[in-house]
Amino acid sequence: MILEMKNIEKSFGDLEVLKDISFGVDRSEVVSIIGPSGSGKSTLLRCATFLETIDGGEISYMGEKAAHTDSNGRAVYVTPNELRHFRKYCGLVFQQFNLFPHYSILKNLTDAPIHVQGVSREEAEETAMDLLRKMGIEDKANAYPYQLSGGQQQRVAIARAMAMKPEILFFDEPTSALDPELTGEVLKVIRQLAEEKMTMVVVTHEMPFARAVSNRVIFMEGGVIVEQGDPRDVFGDPQEERTKQFLRVFER
Amino acid sequence: MSLWTMIVSMAEGLERTCAIFFLTLIFSLPLGMCVALLRMSKNKVVANATRFVISVLRGTPLMLQLLAVTYGPYYLFGIGVARNKLIPVVIAFAINYAAYFAEIYRGGIESIPLGQYEAANVLGYTKTQTFIRIILPQVVKRIMPSVTNEVVTLVKDTSLAFTVSYQEMFTIGKQIANSQTSFMPFVVAGVFYFVFNAIVDYGMGRIENRLDYYN
Repeated sequence: MILEMKNIEKSFGDLEVLKDISFGVDRSEVVSIIGPSGSGKSTLLRCATFLETIDGGEISYMGEKAAHTDSNGRAVYVTPNELRHFRKYCGLVFQQFNLFPHYSILKNLTDAPIHVQGVSREEAEETAMDLLRKMGIEDKANAYPYQLSGGQQQRVAIARAMAMKPEILFFDEPTSALDPELTGEVLKVIRQLAEEKMTMVVVTHEMPFARAVSNRVIFMEGGVIVEQGDPRDVFGDPQEERTKQFLRVFER
Repeated sequence: MSLWTMIVSMAEGLERTCAIFFLTLIFSLPLGMCVALLRMSKNKVVANATRFVISVLRGTPLMLQLLAVTYGPYYLFGIGVARNKLIPVVIAFAINYAAYFAEIYRGGIESIPLGQYEAANVLGYTKTQTFIRIILPQVVKRIMPSVTNEVVTLVKDTSLAFTVSYQEMFTIGKQIANSQTSFMPFVVAGVFYFVFNAIVDYGMGRIENRLDYYN
């Protein structure tokens, strides 16, 4: 198992966002997380990628514990230095891309491998060019983010995360900031990664995509996992009333 | 006194005007960053103390601060006034300008979207790397117009050194004006400052253009 999250608790002030959530991801699995806004999907990803700290529970990558609950019932993390070791297991693609505007596309992809992982420039550039080719934007290597369309920027963001060679890649609503005609090119790239057996967790509102690409669908609401399973079952024959209600909105 | 002699005597003071200008920039630009970081400290005591110091430095006349730094040590501790007035002048200018630069830096740093920090964080950059490699270059670009403003003001502010009789260009001009009962030295000073600032404008414009490769 690549990622295992157990009994995750997270509150912002009085608001309980994650209530005792447990879930794991196996190698080569593609998991889609769906649910209404405010259900805790994004927070779950942000906890998994260490952008937020959990209040209670356990997070392990590759069987190594990054955080666990101590005897006082509070979550304790490994030291910040050790945490950097865990960060290399996971990549995150943001809704708003968050490319570095002052770096060329190529440098967006090579800077972290060179300066964080200590990869040689030649190797980093080779990896980066391979990725850009795969994303169909190798001609943009020397351009700057502002010169690219949203769909191209998001593909660069995916390539940037992939350049770190993560074990698992998280997507936080990767197409929600895009014009409808641009979502397709991004979804195509994610689908391509799925075919190459990349382990991925995708928070999305693109139901047909979730249905077609994922091995497992998780429906979240109110900080809990309401229902999960094979996409054919969850979409075709949802068991929970809330899931049925939610999915009905998308059937048009 | 011929106009030419006037210009030559005042031009001799330009060297000292430049000394104040460049030394102030050399010290205040980095000092301002330290002040900005203290101002943004998570420690409330440090942040508020810094905020208070900044408000005093920005809320009182630079002329007063010049007098305080130059003559304060004598009145407070009986220490003799520095023979080379350049030292207290530059100290006063550097501290005063650092306060202004600190607020410009802070505005710039706080304007960088949170997503930049998060992206860097997920990619494994350390906090220092994130600041140096990702945040600072973007801040520099954003604050250039405000920094240019301060630098232009600094050129003109160097004339305040006359209050402690430091023999820079304007002080010399003022002395000539008094002894010759002529307004001409002030006209000459005005032209000098204008030309100085035209050069500053050109230089800062060049830097802004070089940073213009992205939006």
